[in-house]
Amino acid sequence: MATPSDGSIFRRRSLFKAAGLGIAGAAGLPVIAACSDIETGSGSSQETSGFDFLPEYKEWPLPVEPDLIGEPPNHPSGFTTYPEPVPAIENVPSNSGTFEITVPMWGEAPSPSEPYFAAITEACGGTQVNLRQADGMTYAETSVQWLNANEFGDGIMFFSWMTGSNPNFQETVVNTFYDLTDIVKGDISERWPLLAGLPTASWGQSVWSTDPKDPDSARVFGIPGSFSGGPGNAVFARTDLLEADGLAMPTTVEELLEVARAWSDDAGGRWAFGGLDYLTPSWFGLASADGWAYIDGKLVHNCERPEYTEWLEFRRTVWDEKLVHPDIPSGTLDGQALHKAGTILFQLDGISWWQGFVDQAAAEGLTGSIAPLGALSAKGREPLVYVNQSVDSWTFLRKDLSKEQVEEFLDFCNFASAPFGTTEYELLNYGVEGTDFNYGPDGVPVYTASGAKVVQAPVNHKTISGHVQQFITGTPDMVQARFEYNAALKDFAEVNIFEGMRVEGPADFKSAAQVLNDQQNDIAYGRAELSTIPDMVQTFLDNGGEAAREHYTAAYDKLHG
Amino acid sequence: MAALQTSAPPASPGQERRVIVRRKRTVAQRFRSDWPLLLMTLPAMAQLAVFFYWPSAWNIIAFMDYSPHRAFWDNPLVGFAWFERLFANPYFTPALLNTLKYSFANLLFLFPLSIILALVMHSVVSTKVRSVFQSIVYLPYFFSWVLVVTVFVQTLGSDGLVSNWLLGLGGDRLSFTSNPDTFLFLAWLQWAWKDAGWGMIIFLAALASINPSLYEAAAVDGASRWRRMWHITLPGIRPVIVLLLILHIGGILTVGFEQYQLQRDAIGYQTTEVLDTFIYYRSVIGTEGPSFGTAAGLFKGVIGLILVLVANNVAHRLGEQGIYQKS
Repeated sequence: MATPSDGSIFRRRSLFKAAGLGIAGAAGLPVIAACSDIETGSGSSQETSGFDFLPEYKEWPLPVEPDLIGEPPNHPSGFTTYPEPVPAIENVPSNSGTFEITVPMWGEAPSPSEPYFAAITEACGGTQVNLRQADGMTYAETSVQWLNANEFGDGIMFFSWMTGSNPNFQETVVNTFYDLTDIVKGDISERWPLLAGLPTASWGQSVWSTDPKDPDSARVFGIPGSFSGGPGNAVFARTDLLEADGLAMPTTVEELLEVARAWSDDAGGRWAFGGLDYLTPSWFGLASADGWAYIDGKLVHNCERPEYTEWLEFRRTVWDEKLVHPDIPSGTLDGQALHKAGTILFQLDGISWWQGFVDQAAAEGLTGSIAPLGALSAKGREPLVYVNQSVDSWTFLRKDLSKEQVEEFLDFCNFASAPFGTTEYELLNYGVEGTDFNYGPDGVPVYTASGAKVVQAPVNHKTISGHVQQFITGTPDMVQARFEYNAALKDFAEVNIFEGMRVEGPADFKSAAQVLNDQQNDIAYGRAELSTIPDMVQTFLDNGGEAAREHYTAAYDKLHG
Repeated sequence: MAALQTSAPPASPGQERRVIVRRKRTVAQRFRSDWPLLLMTLPAMAQLAVFFYWPSAWNIIAFMDYSPHRAFWDNPLVGFAWFERLFANPYFTPALLNTLKYSFANLLFLFPLSIILALVMHSVVSTKVRSVFQSIVYLPYFFSWVLVVTVFVQTLGSDGLVSNWLLGLGGDRLSFTSNPDTFLFLAWLQWAWKDAGWGMIIFLAALASINPSLYEAAAVDGASRWRRMWHITLPGIRPVIVLLLILHIGGILTVGFEQYQLQRDAIGYQTTEVLDTFIYYRSVIGTEGPSFGTAAGLFKGVIGLILVLVANNVAHRLGEQGIYQKS
């Protein structure tokens, strides 16, 4: 190495000086200023009803009534026949704007050049909505950075369960998205009759306060998605495989274990279960969402309850007895593929897997049938069923759009809110006749291979805004089965103790809950012992859980007095 | 022999020799003469300024309750509150200890392996064999960690090639890729396969700079192969070993990210959580916010700088060059 000259800064003393100056500078700056406490991520609670600035509800008359009448929202009505669709919008607007909307995508994103998308642009009046489809598996977490960088196109869609990944979603919403209040308040039925037909509760849940401490600063920021109600997830059993082995559909957790033991064969490469994480706590009576339940006059977190240990014992049992696929901890298994192949007997999935299995099995020439397990419980307890408790999603628009652009986008949302029985709904949900679907013998649209790939994607234009009413639709057998399933479960639906309020937990609590989740998996997959539960619960409480109890209790008291 | 000609006037007898003191050039003078050189450095300077110094300046948010939704100057200063929160976090110390564990394991078990591979390679006379060996050992360095982890899971996983073969023989499945107790060995295997070849190349370059006549002279003097390695080869590459060692010590809190993140679900967070994944899960995609992650990053940087300076100082005291010349 050449000897540096005397003037070189690349000498030991120079380096020390530079490092010293850098450290002193970095440390000195905050010292010379008066310092305050960290306030970021302290959580918020937002009332979602009782506003006078929401769109005035004007019922949108359905073109055809359902033949199975349920009790919405947890027991939606259904159609066992496919009606002749009629146009929902008589005067189609004439627009020409283009919007880029970021949405989550599970699976392969279709090409934007598909005829389906062109047909939607034409039918809605010329507005072109291009989808920026991002991986749904990581969407909630990575969207935080897009929002911080203001890089999400003209708008972004979030499912309600995704917002917890943001350290401070309330602050993000009011600083990043367009305040729709002045455009949508009052009577909007003349221009947007379908948006005016959305439930007032849906609009109420689209409100955030610009100042969390001032209820009067509440404004409408989101365009609400559908309010589906009912169970959103289920554990599906391969009924044909059960039948082949002479096994009955289990009705309790104990029976489920017996069936799993009888069917599993680790050496033979078949296991009863794939994933068992996010729904199985309900079998033990544990709360959904952030895990708080009101018991004996106070809020108690799931992990503080004896049922929590029972649940982890159950998960550990199925692992120790090799009733669960050995590679499930990797988190990379394709559970649906294993379920179709008959490698696993039970698949925990979204409720749409019921129809998805039928469609995919038909397309791939597979035999087999599935059905969801009913309301299970352990030790003879009253079953508990998790149900959708808020609007499914929101679409937010960036704050620097012009008023005219926002109004044009609301034209599109009005189009996308058309319910079952309309031509708009048919186009959005089934695509172009002859290309994406054909009518079956019973008159119900049946997807073509292209339609299954392009239109049947879980998220696209059809989910940009909510339908004025939500129904169970599909093949008659499936509609009947889902209707009966919801009817059987509705009496066990979990009651939302924060009904009428949206509570966002403090950042510390969210972080501690994430660690608790990791520790649960350690126990469930044999990497930690059940005896560590008290320690991990104490760590959770000390690092955000106890403080969060105060936060949630304050919100609860505000609601219930 | 012709006399050497010079145009200088002959010194007259009795004349005192004049000492010419060259005045130090001013900045302006140096700029006038060096501006083309400075111009040529501009792209590199701009690149450093935009991609290094400007982002580095944002370390200041480690001392702020920073929100991207506020104007920069509206973010309140909070002193060392984020550092306090970082050190008080119960998952920070385990992540730090894991980081040190993997870093020292890498230093102890991989660093010597690269040197041994280089020495073995250096001793191979056949160019053809050398070329094939070099390609086989070096190629995995270009594989992504996704591929490396996938290959290990497909081969040694619970449902992998070896497990199914063992099952066929009446044995049991391997739990190698999901067992936290054996993860250090698994990580070492992965480092050895992926990174040992890269280290070997650097040492091979150092070996090539050793004068072959030294080996010839030693051989003539009757030195054995082992003696030649001990007295010629190792001293010849010692400066490079020390340089790489110092750089490694400087990066001791940076053990990589993907290898641990990709195996986190299978192995469990308690074993795979290192500082980089800790920052990622708590700050980048977590709920602690950007100031928390910046504080953790700054902590890593300061510790790294101190370690580099200390290690370099030790190297100087031992008579080595280190990463810069001792003034």
